[in-house]
Amino acid sequence: MSQKLLDVENLTMKFGGLVAIDNLSFSADKDKITSIIGPNGAGKTTVFNCLTGFYKATAGSMFLNKENERLNLRKFSDFKVAQKAGVARTFQNIRLFPQMSVLENLMVAQHNKLMDASGFTILGLFNSPSFVKKEKEAVEISKYWLDIIGLTHRADDDAGDLPYGDQRKLEIVRAMCINPHLLCLDEPAAGLNAKESAELNKLLLFIKNEKKTGILLIEHDMSVVMEISDHVVVLNYGKKIFQGSAKETKNSPEVIEAYLGTEE
Amino acid sequence: MEKKFFQTSIKDSLFTGLIALALFGPIVGLRTVAKNEVLEVHPKWFIVLIIVIVCAVGRFLTNLYVYNRDQKTGIQSSIGKSISNFLDTKGYQIALTAIIFSVIFPFLPFTDRYLMDIAIMMLTYIMLGWGLNIVIGLAGLLDLGYVAFYAVGAYSYALFAIHFGWSFWICLPIAGIFAAMFGVLLGFPVLRLRGDYLAIVTLAFGEMIRILLLNWYQLTKGPDGLTGIPRPSFFGLPFKSFPDEGEQTFHTFFGIEYDPMQRIIFLYYLILVLALITNLFTIKIRRLPIGRAWEALREDEIACKSLGVNPRNTKLTAFAIGAMFGGFAGSFFATRQAFISPESFTFIESAIIVAIVVLGGMGSQTGVVLATVFLIGLIEVFRDFESYRMIAFGGAMVLIMIFRPRGILATRKPTITLEKSSSK
Ligand SMILES: Nc1ncnc2c1ncn2[C@@H]1O[C@H](COP(=O)(O)OP(=O)(O)OP(=O)(O)O)[C@@H](O)[C@H]1O
Ligand SMILES: [Mg+2]
Repeated sequence: MSQKLLDVENLTMKFGGLVAIDNLSFSADKDKITSIIGPNGAGKTTVFNCLTGFYKATAGSMFLNKENERLNLRKFSDFKVAQKAGVARTFQNIRLFPQMSVLENLMVAQHNKLMDASGFTILGLFNSPSFVKKEKEAVEISKYWLDIIGLTHRADDDAGDLPYGDQRKLEIVRAMCINPHLLCLDEPAAGLNAKESAELNKLLLFIKNEKKTGILLIEHDMSVVMEISDHVVVLNYGKKIFQGSAKETKNSPEVIEAYLGTEE
Repeated sequence: MEKKFFQTSIKDSLFTGLIALALFGPIVGLRTVAKNEVLEVHPKWFIVLIIVIVCAVGRFLTNLYVYNRDQKTGIQSSIGKSISNFLDTKGYQIALTAIIFSVIFPFLPFTDRYLMDIAIMMLTYIMLGWGLNIVIGLAGLLDLGYVAFYAVGAYSYALFAIHFGWSFWICLPIAGIFAAMFGVLLGFPVLRLRGDYLAIVTLAFGEMIRILLLNWYQLTKGPDGLTGIPRPSFFGLPFKSFPDEGEQTFHTFFGIEYDPMQRIIFLYYLILVLALITNLFTIKIRRLPIGRAWEALREDEIACKSLGVNPRNTKLTAFAIGAMFGGFAGSFFATRQAFISPESFTFIESAIIVAIVVLGGMGSQTGVVLATVFLIGLIEVFRDFESYRMIAFGGAMVLIMIFRPRGILATRKPTITLEKSSSK
């Protein structure tokens, strides 16, 4: 119980009379991929919004366990969840900085450490060697991730000019550039073709295995879910109706029932 | 197809005529004349009719020849394209030429007092444009009350210089700091606002500052304004034709004849240096993490939060730094005029500065220069036709927006590139 990366207990989110998440408990492991699936409107994105501080949960608790700290995520508001707790996320509708270059997108993700290095801008104004060094390192990190997704040759182009599939991948590696403990991905495979989808799987497995980053994955594309998730949580109307391995999920009658008539 | 196009054009021009009627009917058509202490209405329907016909026919013709999508020979494609191309590719050369020109400008044979005054005014607007460019162009915060910081800078400069007799170089940073503090003061309540709402609140803020200056009589002398603001001196050497006993002045120190132009030239270089400092600072800070965060905030605030960028601090620094440069420009204005009153800081000033930034191309430094030269130049050219000035001003904006919908110079260069930083 305590060795999980993320513990969510009795999480509830109400919008007026609408109960978007109803007493949800689940956990996610370090270096495992935990998928959250469910029909449209089940409350999946709302779970992410609560975790990452965009919404204030009505009730319940969320804890992130780092090596020697247990952080209460409810204490952090929006940007602090990323800054202090190291929870990164992507969005269902891609949110890049479209008129900034691909490289700049990744540099913004490393804002906080660069900001410190620039001595709150003053050292930076005078090109202090320590800042120049840190900036170079940040460029190297960006380049490392661009190499992985094969976009190095487009580093200086506007992010908004990339093809859709590349934008998705860029958003994921941008989130990785904050060096997160937990990466939350909201439907990363949406709109990708089969080849891109396969590349995405590879990227996510790489992040899980090599970077030892826990991944929470919202996904409608069952092929992605089945192939890479270690653990699946199924939501319907804000309630958890099932959890188990990918295989168990596929064969569960409750899950099939929830999806019948709505999806697939 | 052809016939349908014709029909829609006619409909469209009739509609334009209706709008013209609604607008010009009351404005032009109903003229009130005071006669025997009563107001009488003298309708002028004939003129209205002519205006309406001109608008409708004009719209019809532009529909046929300018906006006709089938035949791309409109003004859009010919001259427009070549100017656009030139501006898109030659930004750097334009900037360099402009700097060289402005350095030698005071000594060109045709330069006289009048041109110098205009040049100084333009440079002031350029500096204000560059300052506001941080707020609007980089951080994407539509600030319609920028003149407030100009005013705060001018008044704090004037008050410190008058009451404490401190020199320009001491009062200048003080004025900048005061303006920056007001920037933060404005920033706090508007942190959550964006777009139109932000614009309205900043506009109100600008008016509040002006009204405050107008009514705080003990401090600001209200509508009477502050007089006797010390003129700037050349590193302690004043510009005076008749020095006091034993006093060193600019011309006695250098052993030259006194000439009133000396002070003007000094003021010119002063504002040129201040403006260039603003420019260099902005160019540099754009490439620092804070500058990148400003632009990211303009692009997508939610994405910024998800990456751990603190939107509050980022916005406040943009407001503060933008305001600081406004304050510097205000100090210059105060020392140049030697007299300031709230009248110099009305909303129209904010509007002009915003127009300069937007027409120049959001975020483009050279664009600000081009837009200033164009707009302020236009206002000057039309100085003798007072009542047509604003029409010309508006017309110019419409033209720029037709030819260059994203501003005169709209190309954005990345703040960091992989090629350069890896080859270093
Ligand atoms: N800010 C909000 N205000 C009011 N209701 C909301 C808000 N955000 C989400 N909801 C409601 O909460 C419910 C769950 O929405 P959510 O976006 O979490 O669904 P989802 O599982 O992500 O669906 P999808 O698969 O379509 O993305 C929906 O009924 C939605 O209308
Ligand atoms: Mg969703």
